[in-house]
Amino acid sequence: MELFDNLLLGLSTALQWNNLFYCLIGVVIGTAIGVLPGIGPIPTVALLLPFTFGLAPASALIMLAGIFYGAQYGGSTTAILVNVPGETSSVVTCLDGHEMAKQGRAGPALAIAAISSFFAGTVATVVIAVLSLPLAALALKFTAVEYFSLLVLGLFAAVILAHGSVSKSLAMVFLGLLIGTVGIDVNSGVARMTFGVPALADGLDFVPVAMGLFGLAEIIANLERPAVRQVVSQKLRDLIPSRADLKAAFPAMLRGTFIGSALGVLPGGGAALPPFTAYALEKKLAKDPSRFGKGAIEGVAGPEAANNAGAQTSFIPLLTLGIPANALMALMIGALMMQGIQPGPQVMTEQPELVWGVIASMWTGNLMLLIINLPLVGLWVSMLKIPYRLLFPAIVLFCCIGTYGISNSAFNVWLMLGCAVVGYFFIKVGVEPAPLLLGLVLGPQLEENFRRAMQLSDGDPSVFVTRPISALLLAIVAIMLLAMLSPAVLKTRKRALAE
Amino acid sequence: MTRRRFDWPDLAFGAFLIAVAAGTLVATRGLNGGTAADMGPGYMPRAIALILLAFGLFFAGRGLLRGPVGIEPVQLRPILGVGVAVGVFALLIENAGLALASFAAILIAAAASRESRFFEVIVFGLAVTAGAVLLFIKALALPVSIWPW
Repeated sequence: MELFDNLLLGLSTALQWNNLFYCLIGVVIGTAIGVLPGIGPIPTVALLLPFTFGLAPASALIMLAGIFYGAQYGGSTTAILVNVPGETSSVVTCLDGHEMAKQGRAGPALAIAAISSFFAGTVATVVIAVLSLPLAALALKFTAVEYFSLLVLGLFAAVILAHGSVSKSLAMVFLGLLIGTVGIDVNSGVARMTFGVPALADGLDFVPVAMGLFGLAEIIANLERPAVRQVVSQKLRDLIPSRADLKAAFPAMLRGTFIGSALGVLPGGGAALPPFTAYALEKKLAKDPSRFGKGAIEGVAGPEAANNAGAQTSFIPLLTLGIPANALMALMIGALMMQGIQPGPQVMTEQPELVWGVIASMWTGNLMLLIINLPLVGLWVSMLKIPYRLLFPAIVLFCCIGTYGISNSAFNVWLMLGCAVVGYFFIKVGVEPAPLLLGLVLGPQLEENFRRAMQLSDGDPSVFVTRPISALLLAIVAIMLLAMLSPAVLKTRKRALAE
Repeated sequence: MTRRRFDWPDLAFGAFLIAVAAGTLVATRGLNGGTAADMGPGYMPRAIALILLAFGLFFAGRGLLRGPVGIEPVQLRPILGVGVAVGVFALLIENAGLALASFAAILIAAAASRESRFFEVIVFGLAVTAGAVLLFIKALALPVSIWPW
């Protein structure tokens, strides 16, 4: 029973007092930023990265992971009470959740959202534990050739399944790869595109890039829009859902968990896609679809379970293969590298306490979230009373201090400023910045494996299609790209992402 | 408006990519490209730059042919406020200490929003500065001086 041994090992790490403490910090911060619209988990994780440097690797990852899934809980609170999604993943929760609140059933809606999230989180933790071992074992057989193909598959799939135009996202991946080549070339020791700046010798730090592109650019764009007045529409009474509510919600919860776990594992998965899919499925399965949008409890339970399960299972490619499924996981890779751990399949065997500790901490974290969210919901709601005009200067300041703190260099602050301007440009021309971050983080690995593979094959590129695993991976990429060209698939994708 | 004949977002993104690709090709011209079997430091940057160039030409061309799609007008106040705040922070942090740099950044950033109120921002700025000093220097031990002296 290797699985149980591993989970026990994980629990013994996750239950250490200091790790419980960092997990608590993570989920509290996560809930806070989830509740607040206008600041998401990506800039928050980027902001806290420099300060995890002094922590043990497991504590650092446990805290950062807590922020991510904690944000899913917080996001639904805002969605239900104020009809504003705190996070993109809780957009669908607005539909029926806020409708329930309007009918005076905010309490049960919040409770069902939290219970669904907790249930999904618990199941997803087991899913991660079960899937991780075989995947990592498979990945250990990979050579540079297969690893290169896997990275290509990861990048392409992330682009295709995520939001936005595929061609523009692909261009952004390559842009990220290009930025990733800045710095001293490891093989020859020659400085590339550093323009004589010594701070660039080690390459561009991705923290200032992420904070500029996601944090600051987003603030600038938010300020251009007229401010939204947020009114909490309901007094909160009786949080406990009725037996009928639970009975109606349970099957939806199960289906949502399944969908979220499956979609979360895919590259490009994460917390955004699953809730939409789950909502569509619930609507299709319902005896009376017209109830949806008018406060159907299944419309809260399904998507909430799905986004939480997706948020957690998107850790699987990261923990087993060292491949980030989305921009946030790319930051996690960064956190590992800052700790001196090269991400990849070997992490699982070399650092079992780290991997299993993080997995087990997701369960303890979910339990904490259930406790800090339900009884304390009033506290979180009062956070919404902080006006954006006060919030954003503080975020700007924290971004500055955080970037400065990575290596105590003002250069990184300037770099962040440059990225903010570029990020603002991307928002203006309607391009998603997330693929760039993936390219930037994976770029060095991609180049390294490509060069090694080409060296092994004496410069013959056919090696990528003659080896079976590599050929299979690349074939999947080709099929996905071809499918994207077909108008029928294109239409479905547009509808699925727009719904 | 005659300016709206093109798909401006595509055109601008295409032009941006072409500029980046061209800049890369210029910046890497001194690097050894090597061969596919034994790549030099210039191989990957140049290969990626060429791909970006192709993307750039594609978007620029599509932007010229399609349309009309406009870009929402740029408002100067937010981008200047946030931009200058970050710039001033970068200039002040090393010599003037965290307290002054933070306070200045908050004040300038607040100017980015039309809704900011003068006295509220002063009080809030002082509070956040004090909080930042406590959190980052006292608790997280960031090696920065608090004051310029």
